[in-house]
Amino acid sequence: MRRTIGSTSMMCGIVRISPFFLFGGLLLLGTLAAPEHASSRGDDVTGAWTVEQVVASLKEEREPAVPFEEATHSSLLSAPLIVRGILRFTPPSRLEKEVLEPYHERYVVEGDLVTVESERKRAKKRISLGDYPGLRGFVEAFRAGFTGDAAQLKQMYETALDGNREQWTLRLHPRDPAGRSMVEDIVFSGSGGRISSIVIHAADGDRSVMTLRRGAAK
Amino acid sequence: MRASRWPAFIWSICFAGALWLAATELSIHSDLSDLLPEGTTNTQRLLLTQVRSGLAGRLILVAIEGAEPDELARLSGDLSKRLQGNAQIDFVGNGAQGLSSDEQQLLFRLRYLLSSTLRADTFSADSLRGALEKRLDDLRSPLGLLIKEYIPSDPTGEFLEILQSWSDREAPTKHREVWMSADLQRALLVVQTKAAGFDAEPQAAIQQHIRAVFQQLRKDSSSARLLLSGPGVFAVDIQQTIEQEIWWLSVTASLLVVVFLCVTYRSVTLMVLSLIPLTSGILAGLVAVNSWFGFVHGITLGFGITLLGVVDDYPIHLFSHLTRKESAQATMRTIWPTMRLGIVTTAIGFSSLLLAGFPALAQLGLFALAGLGAAAVVTRWVLPVCIPAGFVPREIRSDLGRLVGSLPKAKFVVPVAVILATMVLIWSDTPLWQEDLESLSPLSAGKKELDQQLRQELGAPDVRDLFVVEGTSVEALLMKAEAMMPRLEQLREDRVLSGYDIVSRYLPSQHVQQERLKALPDRGVLERNLDAAQKGLPFMPGLFAPFVTAVDEARSLPFVDRDTFRGTTLGMKLDSLLFSHQDEWLAIVPLRGVLDRTQLATAAASWGDTSVSYVDLKEESNRLMRAYRNRMTQLVGWGTVAIAVSLVVGLGSITRLGPVLAPIGCAVIVVAAIVKGSGESLSLFHVATFLLVIGLGLDYSLFFNRQEGTEIERTKTVFGLLVCSTTTILVFGLLAFSKIPVLHAIGLTAACGSFCCLLFSGLMAQREATDA
Repeated sequence: MRRTIGSTSMMCGIVRISPFFLFGGLLLLGTLAAPEHASSRGDDVTGAWTVEQVVASLKEEREPAVPFEEATHSSLLSAPLIVRGILRFTPPSRLEKEVLEPYHERYVVEGDLVTVESERKRAKKRISLGDYPGLRGFVEAFRAGFTGDAAQLKQMYETALDGNREQWTLRLHPRDPAGRSMVEDIVFSGSGGRISSIVIHAADGDRSVMTLRRGAAK
Repeated sequence: MRASRWPAFIWSICFAGALWLAATELSIHSDLSDLLPEGTTNTQRLLLTQVRSGLAGRLILVAIEGAEPDELARLSGDLSKRLQGNAQIDFVGNGAQGLSSDEQQLLFRLRYLLSSTLRADTFSADSLRGALEKRLDDLRSPLGLLIKEYIPSDPTGEFLEILQSWSDREAPTKHREVWMSADLQRALLVVQTKAAGFDAEPQAAIQQHIRAVFQQLRKDSSSARLLLSGPGVFAVDIQQTIEQEIWWLSVTASLLVVVFLCVTYRSVTLMVLSLIPLTSGILAGLVAVNSWFGFVHGITLGFGITLLGVVDDYPIHLFSHLTRKESAQATMRTIWPTMRLGIVTTAIGFSSLLLAGFPALAQLGLFALAGLGAAAVVTRWVLPVCIPAGFVPREIRSDLGRLVGSLPKAKFVVPVAVILATMVLIWSDTPLWQEDLESLSPLSAGKKELDQQLRQELGAPDVRDLFVVEGTSVEALLMKAEAMMPRLEQLREDRVLSGYDIVSRYLPSQHVQQERLKALPDRGVLERNLDAAQKGLPFMPGLFAPFVTAVDEARSLPFVDRDTFRGTTLGMKLDSLLFSHQDEWLAIVPLRGVLDRTQLATAAASWGDTSVSYVDLKEESNRLMRAYRNRMTQLVGWGTVAIAVSLVVGLGSITRLGPVLAPIGCAVIVVAAIVKGSGESLSLFHVATFLLVIGLGLDYSLFFNRQEGTEIERTKTVFGLLVCSTTTILVFGLLAFSKIPVLHAIGLTAACGSFCCLLFSGLMAQREATDA
């Protein structure tokens, strides 16, 4: 009889590290946006492009579902592993990452609970965010970002924004030590209110690169 | 005249000596388990050992509520940190504690001996291929990061398997790393104390400490509250309730008696004199119990003094019979034969307590017996000497005697009462015997409910249900436990119970470890299988070298045993699940959420293994109580026979036995009916109190039936009896209002008994009838 991962107190002792890759993708999912509106708004008087404006644009122009392709590069692997699927957001706070290829798997964050359904492992398990302190900070950061609360985002992460409205990269570096022990940084690249890729650099040098193809799914 | 001073002199010396002994030697205990019986069967003895010092008894369940979840989590974290360092506390759990890194390393190193999923074919090329594919899936998934670091040395996932099977599947929800109730209204913690749950004093100190720390941590504005529960908390609670009750009851009772005696006799001298036998008795009781048992239990002291209140009757008898013409010694000599008989019969009654084999009652019995003896001796030889010459209490109205003299005309009341009582006893719906020990507990229903609730939220084992497995050696025991695991799992799937813990989940038998070692291939075979399994998969070449080395090293590992985990939290867990008891080894399997006890017992019986027994602690303790009650009832029976014999001898006539004994018998029947009619069932304590009633009643009955010359003398007797009975009814009537069920039982029985005995003795007194 199989038992679930992570549902337990003893587990969290060793596995006090968090599924950042999942939430890296979900963090600003709600803020995925159409580019048409992007150029028309957001610049301040000096013409500089700010984190506040990025967050505001992302919130403004988010889409309910976006297809993605994610490549995992690891020191354990001789070639990257690729998965494809769809990211979804359902207001007010339901996030979903559905993997369609090469197998079917679903991760749903709702409130304090993460549900994992895996076809291949024939398992459905639930994880409490409370078991993963780093993760919790992450989800809160997402919520802050989603509601356009740049202040909250900056409280959780050191932010660095490069480029301009047409082509920008936003680098988030966790302030919380639990988060830092796992993730070096999360880099969002985009144009206006639209994210084109999310790269998560793990503390051990591994990285995951997620490319979003907006507008291709509803 | 000088010679008559001797008794007072000797008494002073004895009194001073006893006082000194009591002051220097007396050790008063508060540990309730000191009063628990030894048990007659092996299971009962084990049960009582568990109750005394078992792990379940040492758990304090802690909840913090009444604030926002974040604030609760902060309080839980701070409280746990502050308590961790306390020397009286073994362990504090609030969900944030995992295994230490040392323990993790130990488990990681021993993974091939401990993993329950290790099979003979785990290391075949096919199985390895499957495992490696799973690891690739893990790496692809967001959750893969969690186990990435273990992949090179443990690609088959044995370590995580161990952690999962060891962890409690029903751990509470977490919020900000700490345990919370599902609705986030309560933060939950457990504290494991060093002291046994029943050891009220250290328990009280620890609980006080927890509360004090919480008060410090709580911000003044915060509305957060701390809730504690568990056996230790109950023990302290019971202890405090009993202490408080005994205190206010004895103060109020003493005041009532003093006021009553003052009003009745209007003499302070008399008040002081009547205290001489009582204080002597209490002191003698203390010294006797302390030197025999080595300690006096606080509860014995409280109950014992109440019980000894009986001896206050003796000086009252003496005072009532004093006259101006006669010296106190002479009066004493006249009433002594009757008094002596009363003392002897009361002593027989009390000695049944001593023989009941129930430590709580035995202490009480010895206390009462020693006190009774001392008080009797003091009343007979010391008190008369102390009474100033010519001292006579106030005159008694003589119409009292006439009133009482006319009582036997209303004799018919007695048979009517007895018939009514018999009808109540037969037709009342209330069961005659109290079968549920719990109803004797002074704990409020609210507290019991809170305990159940916290237990459920925490997934802590019930203190009630467990399996006990016996074995001649640790190895034999572990193999039995291993055989039990699939059966327990079946019971869990059938929803007979919702969870269990068993030693073999953590510690495999050597037999099983041997099997697992056999499954480990040698280096060459493993390398070949791994190469085949890895073909076409995108793992870095040479990635699994640590795995090959680890398997190779595991082949020469020594067996894991209890010593491997000594000094760790796992070691503590093992010690609570597996221990030696007398000459054998025992494993305790605590059960959680048992829904169907009958089915559980049937299932256990169907396994046909006599070394495995299902124990329902509640049922077991009720059975124990029942055994003692039966024994007590027998003793009361034999005691009655002994009393009858001594009465025949004392009265010198078998024909006078009837009139003396009959009212008492009738009174006992009526009291039993009153108790039952008021919706209570008889418990051990009611039965024990019947003895007291018989003792008291015989005293009344003997004096009522005394051959006395004059009307005045008779009036005096009656007056004395009225005073005695009233003091008894005052004291015990007060006890009947106690919220402690045991005190209430004793109080109600004794107060009603005293009244009925007096009334029936008066009604059935033979003297008037023979005179008329």
